Amino acid sequence: MKIGIPRAFLYYKYRYLWETFFHELGCEIVLSPETNRQIVKDGINYAMDESCLSSKIYLGHVHYLIDKCDYILVPRIANFGLGEVVCTKFQAAYDVIANTFRDQNIKILNYNIDHRKKQTEFKAFMKMGKELNKRKFEIIRAYFMAKQAEKTYFQLELKKQQELLKRDSELKVLIVSHAYNIYDKFVGEPIVKYLEKLDCIIIIGEISPKQEAKQEAKEMSPTLPWTYNKELLGAIKLYQKQVDGIVLMSSFPCGPDSLVNEMIIRKVKGKPILNLVLDEQEGNAGMETRLESFVDIIKLKKDVVNEKQKES
Amino acid sequence: MKKAYLGVDVGSISTKGVIIDKNNKILAEAYLWTEGNPIGAVKRLISELANQFEQKKYKVVGVGTTGSARKLTGTILGANVVKNEITAHAIGTTSLYPEVRTIFEIGGQDSKIIIIEDGIVVDYAMNTLCAAGTGAFLTSQARRLGLEVEEFGPLALQSNNPTNIAARCTVFAESDLVHKMQIGHRREDIVAGLCKAVVTNYLNNVGKGKKIKSPIVFQGGVSKNIGVIKAFSDVTKEEIIVDPNSHLLGALGVAILAKNKKSEKDFDFDINEIEFETRGVECKKCANNCEIICVFKDGYLIDSWGNRCENGAIKIKEQS
Repeated sequence: MKIGIPRAFLYYKYRYLWETFFHELGCEIVLSPETNRQIVKDGINYAMDESCLSSKIYLGHVHYLIDKCDYILVPRIANFGLGEVVCTKFQAAYDVIANTFRDQNIKILNYNIDHRKKQTEFKAFMKMGKELNKRKFEIIRAYFMAKQAEKTYFQLELKKQQELLKRDSELKVLIVSHAYNIYDKFVGEPIVKYLEKLDCIIIIGEISPKQEAKQEAKEMSPTLPWTYNKELLGAIKLYQKQVDGIVLMSSFPCGPDSLVNEMIIRKVKGKPILNLVLDEQEGNAGMETRLESFVDIIKLKKDVVNEKQKES
Repeated sequence: MKKAYLGVDVGSISTKGVIIDKNNKILAEAYLWTEGNPIGAVKRLISELANQFEQKKYKVVGVGTTGSARKLTGTILGANVVKNEITAHAIGTTSLYPEVRTIFEIGGQDSKIIIIEDGIVVDYAMNTLCAAGTGAFLTSQARRLGLEVEEFGPLALQSNNPTNIAARCTVFAESDLVHKMQIGHRREDIVAGLCKAVVTNYLNNVGKGKKIKSPIVFQGGVSKNIGVIKAFSDVTKEEIIVDPNSHLLGALGVAILAKNKKSEKDFDFDINEIEFETRGVECKKCANNCEIICVFKDGYLIDSWGNRCENGAIKIKEQS
């Protein structure tokens, strides 16, 4: 049994969970390649004009997997409870994919998370296992193995990041961006690489103790509805004292980010913030100008602070 | 022979250059249109500078480039500093106005705000990749009104009642402007309204959340427009300083950076006789199909860029 997983969108958030689960069930995983120009092009062809770059890319990845596997995994996530919603793109993903590719013999494996209708992650994975004709015991075991693996990896990532945060002599830049943007080869990687070329240490907002982050976010905005944005907002609070600058990176025209980033710029004080909005355009001179000048500023600022400390 | 330093700022619309001595005094200056051809513009710029410059008395030992074509022109001129325009402008402006706290800049396609404390840039913001409310916007609206953009400022000053124009998006602004024209708003009111729209758009977008403190220096091509200057001082209730050389400050800044750089290299003004050519090639080594730009000097490849990975890196053969 081959399970196709599009290497886009929620894959970057749940990869350890998904990969371990299917592996434990004895399924083969077919992963679409890192985003390349062809995938972006295919995605744009299938997508609605007005949807965001990330969701266009997602369609490109799904398209790549058609006829290469038995099932394609397309989860649907509506909410994690009252006041805990996600972008409607994730709620619509299943239907959008099923409709867009309806003439192309696509077989979707889906799971549904909708806490307000009592559809929890555990239930969702049980149903998914059943669809694959696995026994109940096997599915439960695979799910808990997957949860354990996810936890282990998260802690490992967190530990690595804590080490980076301790490095005081270098410039540290916090990138606040959804996992599917920052880890994407086409969208986020050029930015990360360019910042590294400018000798910056990258702190990733997506890597944070999630519960703690959400608690912090609540203090900044008690009514913010989007769960994934809450995690990122809280990460700013957790890391802001240890970094030299903050880069907000989102894909055009992301709805939740457009509102949340606006709030961040107004409310987070004391650290230079750069707001980067990425689209399909490929000329990167504009992007480089913004990043280079941003790094110049935080470098100068750090030097001045260091000098003052030396004097006193 | 005294030492001198060259700064070149190649923007989307105009190309600027200065030569300074060791005291930052401007020895030669030039300003011309880029006309979509940065290589040609730089060549014309260099020959114009060469004419004004006493080559017997001074020797250019450092070159800096800035502006959106800084990389290409940096390669061509063999620059020892290639710096983004935000840093260059901040340095140029603070060299003339050490007290400055806020720099407004509106150029052909970019707009930025730079906040300075004690002579050091502490914060800045730049427009997102959309060019709404920049010089390009004013130029295209001028065309629609049958005016030269240079006539804009004086005409705007004649208005007592600027028309409200939505300037959040250039396309929307254009339809708004057409409607206002058709229902009989006076031309000077519309022009003044456009200047005001540029200012409110700028302050709401680029300037949002920033504490604007005086002294304020306004620069970039749009700072030549007296209507926009007036709109800025109306809204901020502060005096707006515009240097007579405001268009040259980026070039000045990068010339100063070249001066501060330790490495020195003699610059040859004869680039007019050298054939520079760029060629785009598509790297077919992976699905990305990157467009790689190669720069040739008299037929020899001297630099290339645009590849997303090492596969597309083009080796540069040492020229003998």
